[in-house]
Amino acid sequence: MFAFLRKNQILLSSCLCLILSLYILTAAARGQLKNDPIGPILLWIMRPLQLAAQATTNWIQDIQNNYSTLAGYRSENEKLRNRIQELEVEKNQLLEAEATNRRLQQILEFRSQLPAGSVTASIIADSGSTWFKSCLLDKGSADGVRKGLAVVTPLGVVGQVVAVTARTAKVLLVTDPNSGVDVLVQRTRARGIVSGSLDNGPILKYVKRSEDIQEGDRLVTSGLDGVFPKGVVVGAVTKVRKQTLGLFQHIEVMPAVNLGRTEEVLIVKPDASQGKN
Amino acid sequence: MKLSLSFFAVGVLLLLLQTTFLHLLPLGPVVPDLILVLCVYWGLYHPTVGAVLGSFLLGYSVDVVSSPILGLNAFAMSLVFLAVYLSSRSIWLHHPVVSSIIVLLASLVKGGALMLVWTFFLSVDGFWIGAMRYILMEALVAALMAPIVFALLRRAQAYVEKVHVPA
Repeated sequence: MFAFLRKNQILLSSCLCLILSLYILTAAARGQLKNDPIGPILLWIMRPLQLAAQATTNWIQDIQNNYSTLAGYRSENEKLRNRIQELEVEKNQLLEAEATNRRLQQILEFRSQLPAGSVTASIIADSGSTWFKSCLLDKGSADGVRKGLAVVTPLGVVGQVVAVTARTAKVLLVTDPNSGVDVLVQRTRARGIVSGSLDNGPILKYVKRSEDIQEGDRLVTSGLDGVFPKGVVVGAVTKVRKQTLGLFQHIEVMPAVNLGRTEEVLIVKPDASQGKN
Repeated sequence: MKLSLSFFAVGVLLLLLQTTFLHLLPLGPVVPDLILVLCVYWGLYHPTVGAVLGSFLLGYSVDVVSSPILGLNAFAMSLVFLAVYLSSRSIWLHHPVVSSIIVLLASLVKGGALMLVWTFFLSVDGFWIGAMRYILMEALVAALMAPIVFALLRRAQAYVEKVHVPA
């Protein structure tokens, strides 16, 4: 008997535990288990340990929460930075669009003053040379652009088309030493030729010593060269020097158009310019 | 004696972990049942009367701490221990996958027992549908954790036995 019990002690003790637990269950379910003898002791033993464990857990949780909060702030900060960058780009695009709109509006108004047939074009490249002052437009022979056409903006003369491909046109700027625009001094109607130079910008050539030219005088196209429409501003006189010898005065000119900052231009067709004349 | 005390300490530690910390793990509503894993371990590697009592007491402790009715977990843990003890004689055990499978089955046994007892003593409408899902999830989580817990327990047991019985 004792050997049997010893041999099956685990099995028997397990069965006893099962029966005991079922008894407890039944008693608890029926409400008969008023005084639980083991529960309070277990809780009494467990309480300080649970308090310590809970405190540790809370501490870990606090650290985790703080980390999550910080990580959240970092993530939010990153998102806001990205958003600011996006808004900056958007703002720049809007400002750019507004500026372009304004320029195009001016060109449109200016174009309406010219005879029909003028072509609007954008500058797509610069000469990239110290010696030559030219630029490349995005319109070419396919758009009706031909060699010799005048290129202007609402502010004044830009230059003249000197070479054309199907989709591009090269413009020789008024600041190039090889260019020449027949002009009138607006105040005195004295004639001359504005040409570029490598020294101090464009100069007004062939103005007699006797002519009354003053600094600030505005120069406009005469229309006599058959290229530029009459009355378009070319620039203003910045310096007048009457030399001791020689027939003509030395007059320096400031171009009306800041060619480095021009983006859109009008190409004036010959018929148009002639019509204007 | 020393080993029994160590197991008692481990049991208390796991109970503490289970009642204070493990619910914070990102496992949704499922809390890993480490006490079940310990009972399975005892059933497999340390089948003694002390382990039987330990399983019962651990289950009872869970009841005292969290169960709506006393004896529910005590019954389930005792049943799990017995089932594992009886089946361990015919199973090759020295592989983590096998231990996982045994814990999975033990967890299902426990879940089944809980459901039966629950239904018998506390009739709740619509309990079965939700319970089935939780039982499966809990069994899977316990099975996943089993190899790690087993390895730790085995190391601890080896360490204690080595200290206890010097060469």
